[in-house]
Amino acid sequence: MSFIEVSNITKSFRVSRRSAGIPGMLANMVRPKFEERKAVKDVSFSIEKGEMVGFIGPNGAGKSTTIKMLAGILCPDKGSIVVNGYVPYRQRKAYVAGIGVVFGQKSQLQWDLPVIDSFELLKAIYRIPEEKYRKNLDRFLDMLDMGSFVNQPVRQLSLGQRMRADIVAALLHSPQIVFFDEPTIGVDVLGKETIREFIRELNAQDEVTMLFTTHDMQDIEKTCKRLIIIDKGAKMYDGTLQEIREKYGTSRQLVVEFGEEAVVPPMENVVITDIEDRKKSFVFDNAKVNINELMSHLLSRYNIRDLTVTEPEIESIIQRMYNGEV
Amino acid sequence: MRLSPYLAFAKKSFLQKSAYRFNHLMSILNTIIRIFIFWEIYRTLYGGRTEVDGITMSMVTTNFILSLGLEAVFGVDDYYLPNRIRDGSIATELLLPVSFHGRMLAGNLGNALFQLIFHFIPAFAVTVLAIGMEAPASPLVFLAFLFSALLGYGVLFGISFLMQMLSFWLLNVWAIMTIKNVFVNVLSGAMIPLWFMPDWMRGIIRFSPFSSIYFTPVQIYLGQLSGREILFRFATQGFWIAVLLAGGAVLWKKGQRKLVVQGG
Repeated sequence: MSFIEVSNITKSFRVSRRSAGIPGMLANMVRPKFEERKAVKDVSFSIEKGEMVGFIGPNGAGKSTTIKMLAGILCPDKGSIVVNGYVPYRQRKAYVAGIGVVFGQKSQLQWDLPVIDSFELLKAIYRIPEEKYRKNLDRFLDMLDMGSFVNQPVRQLSLGQRMRADIVAALLHSPQIVFFDEPTIGVDVLGKETIREFIRELNAQDEVTMLFTTHDMQDIEKTCKRLIIIDKGAKMYDGTLQEIREKYGTSRQLVVEFGEEAVVPPMENVVITDIEDRKKSFVFDNAKVNINELMSHLLSRYNIRDLTVTEPEIESIIQRMYNGEV
Repeated sequence: MRLSPYLAFAKKSFLQKSAYRFNHLMSILNTIIRIFIFWEIYRTLYGGRTEVDGITMSMVTTNFILSLGLEAVFGVDDYYLPNRIRDGSIATELLLPVSFHGRMLAGNLGNALFQLIFHFIPAFAVTVLAIGMEAPASPLVFLAFLFSALLGYGVLFGISFLMQMLSFWLLNVWAIMTIKNVFVNVLSGAMIPLWFMPDWMRGIIRFSPFSSIYFTPVQIYLGQLSGREILFRFATQGFWIAVLLAGGAVLWKKGQRKLVVQGG
């Protein structure tokens, strides 16, 4: 039994279907129409203790619904979830005491009160001992650079500040498992980097098990080894980033800068294009062309000043996966 | 066990209440104005007489000061759950390792304590100085009044609790809450002292949860009920609290399975 065990969960919602405008409204009043929409279809996966897993998919793929079921907020229609021995939606109170959840789009903080008051409230709710609370708070405030705004009311914070405060709020009780639902949404580049750094450190030092959803592939690349891709409610992929690259991203680009004008005759399986006067690009399939041979071939024949190998962006691979091309 | 989280919730809503000072001052003024308006209306109706059907003007005044004052203290937030369902923040609420019902009650009690100190007392002082009221029939009766008012709060909370659970299905409960408030206002004695209702209606209202809220405490305060009757009223109030909370708890259980978290 894994730490987090999700088996064949399904969840559907009733969505109101109504045509536009006043005729639509009138028709809807007389006879409302609803449609079952399956948000999550037969999804299974398991996660081990201390793992950090990225959960990605386009808008409406069912990521948030899955997170909410894992967090004990929603109840799956079918299938089962067991996390650390608990069934989340049945043993909610006992279960949530040991988890932390950050919703990028929903704040847990008290709108009208200073951030620190919200933290104090959480301290009471989770019954965090004074010493542990101090230790965690000092550490997190320092890591996320929050000293300057903990005494401000939440309604006066910037989005990036609020997100950091929300992350601390979810972690004060030292949960063993943390779910992040789009923790970097709407945050600027610098802020995102701070958050990623924080997440990495927490996973490495405290062995916190983490699952997080995002749209930003950079988030995943910089934090997770493992990746679950979900689209239209169904799981499409579960494995390491490395495997995706190896399996789907075998094309490589070699950019060569020559010391002088060079004429390179066509090669089998390699697409050669000119970039600048003395710069050429060689695109090939890593599985078909040996990169070492290609490089030594070029190095032995030409005067070469510089060369770089690039892999395709993970983003473009995943884009192709959504489109069903790979 | 686990009392301290709920104390924290009560403290939080107590503190939050003080965030908007001007709004608070205006709400005190609102209570005072309402008491004066009702007093003025009944003074006109009484047309200089001191008594109508055995009900003195001074009893009527006492009824308004007490029931409108208590109304300001009670002020149960009818939209506690509906708002959280409407904007989806029910999700973050359910993440807390506490009973949602306990949290809801604690928040409302914190609010009520604030209102008692900073709303009821000033409004009470102003109106009593201006128009006067009856003194409690005896110290023992006054204690019974306090206990009955506490039970009255429980009944009002229970009604609101039950109605709020409907928001799992309806998503927008404004209309039914408004209807509920009309019932509460008219049948609890806060608008029309129940002495003036026709006999057949009073017979029905007596057993409804509504008269348990404000009118029962007022009657006890004025010494209109015998010791035996007081105990019977306590039992009626307790009965309604139990029924309303149990009904609400059943709906909560069913509703949770139906929960839809709106907005992403």
